[in-house]
Amino acid sequence: MASLFNKLGLAITFSPTGKALLKETKRLSELFDAQLVLIHVGKKTAETESQLNKIISEAGILKETEIIWTSGDPANAILKSSKKAGVDLLIAGALEKEKLIKYYIGSVARKIMREASSSSLILKEPSLEPAPFKKFYVSTDFTPESERTIKIAYNFALLENAEEFVVISDYNTPGLASTILDSVSMEEIQKTKDLWQTEEEENLKMFVRELNLKGLEIKTVSLYGKEGWEASNYARQHKADIFVVTAPQKRLKFIDRLFHHELEYSFERLPSNLLIIR
Amino acid sequence: MQLTSEQVAVFLLSIGIMLFMAKLLGELFTMMKQPAIIGEIIAGIILGPTVLGNISPETFTFLFPSDTILKIAIDGITTLAVVLLLLVSGLEVDLSIVMKYRRIAVSTSVIGIIVPFVMGFGISYLSPEFMGLTDPDRRVIFSLFIGTAIAISSLPVIAKILIDLKIFKTQIGFIIISAAMLNDVIGWLIFSLILGMMESGAHGFTFTETLILTIAFLLTALLFIRRLTNKAVPWIQEKLSFPGGILNFILILGFLGAAFTEYIGIHAILGAFILGIAIGDSVHLKEETREIIQQFITNIFAPLFFVSIGLRVNFIANFDFAIVIVLLIIALAGKVTGCGLGARLGGLKKNDALAVGFGMSSSGAMGIIIGLLALQYGLIEDNVFVGLVVMALFTSMTGAPLMNLFLKRTPTLQNLLKPELIFFTDVKSKEEIINFLSSSASKNLKINSEEIFRKVLERENSISTGIANYLAIPHARVNSNKPFIAAAINKEGIDFNSTDNLPARIIFLLLTPEGENELQLKLLSDIVKKFRDKEKVEQLLSLKDESKILKALEEM
Repeated sequence: MASLFNKLGLAITFSPTGKALLKETKRLSELFDAQLVLIHVGKKTAETESQLNKIISEAGILKETEIIWTSGDPANAILKSSKKAGVDLLIAGALEKEKLIKYYIGSVARKIMREASSSSLILKEPSLEPAPFKKFYVSTDFTPESERTIKIAYNFALLENAEEFVVISDYNTPGLASTILDSVSMEEIQKTKDLWQTEEEENLKMFVRELNLKGLEIKTVSLYGKEGWEASNYARQHKADIFVVTAPQKRLKFIDRLFHHELEYSFERLPSNLLIIR
Repeated sequence: MQLTSEQVAVFLLSIGIMLFMAKLLGELFTMMKQPAIIGEIIAGIILGPTVLGNISPETFTFLFPSDTILKIAIDGITTLAVVLLLLVSGLEVDLSIVMKYRRIAVSTSVIGIIVPFVMGFGISYLSPEFMGLTDPDRRVIFSLFIGTAIAISSLPVIAKILIDLKIFKTQIGFIIISAAMLNDVIGWLIFSLILGMMESGAHGFTFTETLILTIAFLLTALLFIRRLTNKAVPWIQEKLSFPGGILNFILILGFLGAAFTEYIGIHAILGAFILGIAIGDSVHLKEETREIIQQFITNIFAPLFFVSIGLRVNFIANFDFAIVIVLLIIALAGKVTGCGLGARLGGLKKNDALAVGFGMSSSGAMGIIIGLLALQYGLIEDNVFVGLVVMALFTSMTGAPLMNLFLKRTPTLQNLLKPELIFFTDVKSKEEIINFLSSSASKNLKINSEEIFRKVLERENSISTGIANYLAIPHARVNSNKPFIAAAINKEGIDFNSTDNLPARIIFLLLTPEGENELQLKLLSDIVKKFRDKEKVEQLLSLKDESKILKALEEM
């Protein structure tokens, strides 16, 4: 099997979680047998360099690891350098716990989720003693792109010796309740909904079966409700280690944030670690 | 002024009779597979000046006196009903789906509004006398009104049509739903702005002030209130009594919004509608809550409102054939060409675009509400009002059948499998049976047989398609524009590695166009679903005749 990811990029800061992120990334680069690029936004001075080198060596990362020093708006600089360096999985921390700088750093993570040209992995609570991801939750909408996402996630899960692999489809039928005004009874609506639920479940089972993945049992879940939110919420409630989604075909615009693109529910409130496959 | 005991009695009696007649005729029309609202309007026509007022004017004036405080009471209830109707319409508008399909939703709804609007405006502006304009000073406003009344669509009727045609949960269904939602939003905004123009000064605001306040209201409701309610809803649903707490919350917010927009001079309905959208967007709002509030409004306020329509005017005396025909023609032609063109520009194929056009042509309750408001503002005369109501009802009835004409159904097992595609074979191996079916597919799809064979076998080798209960479904995605299904019944079973270790005795070859994942899934599960019951499968396998097999399959 070819490597899932060949070059991991990590946006590195001096924050307390910086070291944890380094350790997590190191683990992943070994898991994928991938190269590693560290990207730091800030001025390169003797002091900052030694500081950076210190946490890098503390994290056990090889000295020869490529480090890109860049400047400017953090998010943009990270995105640009990672693209230039040919990174195919960009890793960043969500840093939810650091209240003081939460908004600022959080906005970098969000920009990466929305705009990275490669796949990206946002770690919610990076740990100094990283553990493998055991519970994989993958969202699908039956498109060929999401087929690819499931396959990648599955191989990732196999590498991790994961215990749980759940594929979730969520679907919605807005406007359905309005038909009550046209004398459709609640029983009829329920009947229609039950039928759709069975259909959706059958389709998902068949979809997963067609992917022909072997080695780890796949559980399927079909959820009725707001698309994007339901799957994300399910992953959160079931304490997923990693929630995997497919990046949108088109770049998300500001309007998608205002009116919640499906993925924005996960971006706004991370259900767990979030892997976005592009 | 106070209601006397006698007046209270009459008031309650008339409300009771209105509800009774509405339910009676509403159910009757439901049984006839027609929108209930038609029955409810006819109930009003029977109770109103048209029938009862003609047969027994005394009874009519006794029940629905026109010049007393009772009329105000009934008018109050109608206003409440309209506000509530718009509130629940708003609740059902889902911004995420509109965003998801925004390209096609925008082109379908915008062009679908512009074309009928321009036609309605044009004809009213060019021949105002014919359309019944009485006050020449109001020619522009009048024409704008007619344009809007014709351009608006009705989500409930459209949603019902989609359910009846079993296409609600399909791509085209979602496109129509999202376009209809956007149509409502744009339609009510236009309508409110027209009202703002007409009433400018009357509420102490100039038109510019009204406009600014409207925009501020929209932004506040859709950006802030929407987010706040999303936070509030789970708390209310958990901490307060259910469904009482959440129902009250929705109604209170709706009424506040309605009060605000009425105050700034653009009618209460816009506020109720927009607040409905803001609340309905909450991911925490239970579907159950939506249904309960719909029930509450549908069974009490909607019938009262629709019956009250018939109470207002004499539908026979004011039935102006020419106006009805003109309104109907421009409504249907305008909507179908507008929405159809919009859908086509949005990227749909010709037939699908036409289906969308017809699907969007029902103006139902929304058209009637606009008509009523115009009547109340003295903009239109009784005959145009009657014309608008008839137009709204007629288009609600024609939507489904017309759409059905152009709807290209998603292929199903039933319409793909023909008697000539069922074979009785006695081959011995997987390869042979796949080869045999591939060559029949090759003739049908005009694709090289070997290519099909290769692809199916490749798929087969990666994971066997033997299911259970003697069934196997070798399949592949091929470069064709239509799906294909053929079936072979093999005398002796062929080993397909089925999970139950039974040999396959009925083998379906399923080929679907590349890129149409969902179609493949659907057809696969269509087939699998039918083979759950082993006994029935054995019965099927004992049949010797293609058409009998088809029939048995249909019944399985």
